[in-house]
Amino acid sequence: MWYIWDLSILLSALSLVIMLFLIARRLLQERRARAAADQRRQLLTALIAFTENRDREALKATVLGVPAGVVIDAGFEFISLLRGEERDDALVAFIECGLPDRVGRQLRKGNVAERIHAAEMLAALGSEDASASLLTALTQDRSREVRIAAAIALCDLGSLPLLGTALDFIGVAGQRSRRLIELFRRFPRSRFNELAVHASRVDASPFIRAAAIDALAHAGGFGFADFFANLAGDAAPEVVAASVRALGLTGHAEAPAILKRAMANDDWDVRAAAAESAGRLGLPELAAPLSRLMDDEFWTVRYAAANALRSFGQPGERLLREIASAEVSRSQRTASLILAEGPAL
Amino acid sequence: MIADWSHEVVLAATILSWFIIGAGLAQTTIYLLQLVVAGYALSKRPPVARSALLWQRYGDVAPPIALLVPAYNEALNVVESVHSMLALEYPNFEVVVINDGSKDDTLQRLIEAFRLVKFQRPYEEALAHQPIRGLYSSPMTERLFVVDKENGGKADAQNAGINVCRAPLFCVIDGDSILEPDALMRAAQPFIDDPERTIAVGGTIRIANGSRIEAGRVREIHLPRRLLPLFQVVEYLRAFLMARLAWSSINTLMLVSGAFGMFRRAEAVAVGGFTKGSMGEDLDIVIKLHRHMRDKGRKYRIQFIPEPVCWTEAPETLSVLARQRSRWQRGALECFFRYRSMLFNPRYGRVGFLGFGHILIVDVLGPVAEVLGYILIPAFWLLGILSAEYLLAFTALIFTYGVCVSVCSLILEEAELQRFPRARDLAVLTVAAVIENFGYRQLNNFWRVKGWWQFLRGNQGWGEMTRTGLGGAGKK
Repeated sequence: MWYIWDLSILLSALSLVIMLFLIARRLLQERRARAAADQRRQLLTALIAFTENRDREALKATVLGVPAGVVIDAGFEFISLLRGEERDDALVAFIECGLPDRVGRQLRKGNVAERIHAAEMLAALGSEDASASLLTALTQDRSREVRIAAAIALCDLGSLPLLGTALDFIGVAGQRSRRLIELFRRFPRSRFNELAVHASRVDASPFIRAAAIDALAHAGGFGFADFFANLAGDAAPEVVAASVRALGLTGHAEAPAILKRAMANDDWDVRAAAAESAGRLGLPELAAPLSRLMDDEFWTVRYAAANALRSFGQPGERLLREIASAEVSRSQRTASLILAEGPAL
Repeated sequence: MIADWSHEVVLAATILSWFIIGAGLAQTTIYLLQLVVAGYALSKRPPVARSALLWQRYGDVAPPIALLVPAYNEALNVVESVHSMLALEYPNFEVVVINDGSKDDTLQRLIEAFRLVKFQRPYEEALAHQPIRGLYSSPMTERLFVVDKENGGKADAQNAGINVCRAPLFCVIDGDSILEPDALMRAAQPFIDDPERTIAVGGTIRIANGSRIEAGRVREIHLPRRLLPLFQVVEYLRAFLMARLAWSSINTLMLVSGAFGMFRRAEAVAVGGFTKGSMGEDLDIVIKLHRHMRDKGRKYRIQFIPEPVCWTEAPETLSVLARQRSRWQRGALECFFRYRSMLFNPRYGRVGFLGFGHILIVDVLGPVAEVLGYILIPAFWLLGILSAEYLLAFTALIFTYGVCVSVCSLILEEAELQRFPRARDLAVLTVAAVIENFGYRQLNNFWRVKGWWQFLRGNQGWGEMTRTGLGGAGKK
C-alpha cells in the first residue's frame, strides 16, 4: 500500500513544480507579448499611412524594423482588407523587403496553422518562386490541410498540376473535405475539362465527383449541359443529385424527361434535387409527377415539390389549392402548409 | 469465539476497504490515462488559425447552421442574448428561439425588441413535442425565428426547434450562455474537413462569473471572485480539456454538452431527437447517436474541439450547486441504466467497453465508493481494524492524486491553449486546484450520492436554478 502513497506524493509534487515553471514562463511571455503588440501597432499605423500617402520607402523602413512574424500576421491581415492598386503596391513593398523568403521558410518549418497561412500568403504575394515552394508543400507536406491549402494557392497562381495528380497528392482522406469545393470553384475556365474528366470517373469518390459537377454548373454554364444530362444516369446517387441540380441551373432540351425519371429515383436526395430543378427551370409539364412527389415519405422531397409547383405561378398555385382542399393526406397537409407560408393573416 | 468473530470483522473490513480502494484506483487510473491521452491529442492537434483568417478560408464552404435556443423564463437576458447570437461571425445561420411556455414575459420582450410578427413556416413534424402556439419572424432580420410553444421541458423545446429549422446542422445553446463570435465557425470546422463522417461536435464551456460582460460579449476575462465558482473553473478544465479531449481522440466521446453542441440534423432526427423528460438529455442523445451509427454499421465521428468557447454562469451558492450536481448525477444514472445493454457489449466496440465502462466506474460506482470510504476507512482505522497503510492509500487517492490530476489539467491548458490572460490567474487557479481537494470534492461526492438516492426514489424534478444573470440582475 505504501507505493500508492509514495507515488501520489511524487506525482502531485512534480505537477506543482511544473506548474510553477509554467507560471514563470508566462511572466516572460507577457513581457514579450507587450513588445509584440507595440510592434504590431507600429506596423498597422505605417500601413494606414501608406494607404494615404503611398510612400513605399517609409513602409519598407517600418516593415524591416519589426520582426518578420509580426509582418506576416498583422501585415497580411491588413492587406486582406485592401483591393486594387493599393493592395498591389503594398504587396510590392512586402516583396522588396524579402518577405516571400520568410513566408517560404514558414511554409517549410512552421506548425500546421502557420504553414496553411504561409500557403495563402504566397498565393497573395505571387513571387517568382512561390509556385515551386507551394508545389513542394503539395507533394511533400505531411498535413493534408496544408496540402489542400497549397493546391488552392497553386490554383490561384495558375500552377496547379493536373487535377488527378493534385488529388493524388492531397490523398484519400483529404478528398472528403469541403475545402475541395473551394478548390474546384477557383478552377480557371481553361481547365474545366479536367473537372469534367474527374466528374466522370466512376472510380473517384462520389463526394468529389459531385463537387466537380457543382463547380462546373456554377461557372461552366450551358456548355456542360449535355455532360450533366449524361451523368444524370450515373449509378452513384450523389452524382445523379448533383447532375440534376446542375441541369436546374443550365437547362437542357431533355431536362423534362430526365427530371421526370429522377423524380422516380430510389434516393430521396435525387428526388428532391429533381423537384428543385423543375421549379427553377419552370417546367409546368412536370406538374403531375411533382404532385405525386407531394406524397413522398420524405419531408424534404414533399417541400421541394410543393415549392416547385408554387414557383410555376398561378397554374401551380391553383393545383396546390386543389390538393389542399382535397381529403386529408400527406399531400393535402403539405399543400396547405406551403400555401400558408408567409406572414400570418 | 470472540477471536473468530473479530477475525471475520477484520476480513469484512479488509474486503470492503479493498473495494473502496480498488474503485478509487480504477478512477485515478482513468484520470491519469485521460491526462496522457489528452496531452498527446493536444500536442498533435494543429495550432489554431486566428479567427480573422477563418472567415476568409472557410466562409464560402461553411454549411448552414440553425442555432436552437430554448428559453424558459429568460425575460431578464433573452433580448441581449439574441442580439449577441445574431452578431455571431458566420456566413449562413439562423437563430431559432424556442419559448417553452415561459411564465414570465420572455415572448413579449422578444416581440417588442425585434418587432416580431406571426409567421407561417412549413416544417417537418419529424419529432414529437408539445403543441406550437405560434411562429414569429422579425422584419428587422431574416436570421431570427421565434417558436412559441406550450411548456414541455428543455428536450421538448429543442425537438420543436429541430423540427422547425431548415439547416443541415443545428447547434444547441442555453438561452443564458454567450458564444464567442467565432465559435460557430470553429465548431463547424470538423463538418467542413470531414463532412461525411462528422455527426456531432462539442466545444468548450467556460465560466463567465467575474468576467466583464457588455452587450452580450465577454469583454475582459477574469477569474470568479468567489471560491465556489473558482473551484468550478478548475472542474470544467478537468472535464472539458482533459476528459472530453481524451475520449474524443479515440472516438468514444459520450457527452456533448447541452450548453453548446453542434449536431447533424438528419442523424439527430433518425435517433428521435432529444429524449423528453431526461435529466441528462445531452448525454442521452450522444449515446443514442453512437448506438444508431454502430447499429447501422456506418463510419462516424463525434468530436470535441477545445477552441470554440461558450461562456456560462456557474452557480454561486451551495444550495444551487448541490441541486445542479444531484441532477447531473441522476442524468448519468438514468442514461446508464436506460442503455445498459450497451455496457461491455461487443456489438458497440469501444463505446460499450470504454465509454460505458468509464460511466460505470466514474459516475455509477465512483461517488458511492468514495463516500463509503470517507466514513468507513477512518472508522475502521480508529477501531484498530485496519492498518495505517490502508488509511494512507485511501488518503492518497482522495487528496494527493486529486491535486495531481487537477494541477495537470491546468498544465495542459497552459502548455497548449493559454486561455487565461494573466500569470496571476494561473497562480490563483493552481492554489484552487490544490484546495478544492480538501472539502469541495467531498461535498461534491455527497451531492452525487444524494443524486443516487433521488434516482432510486424516482425523483425527476430539475430543481430551481437561481442565477444572478450574466448581465447582473437576479433571476430564477
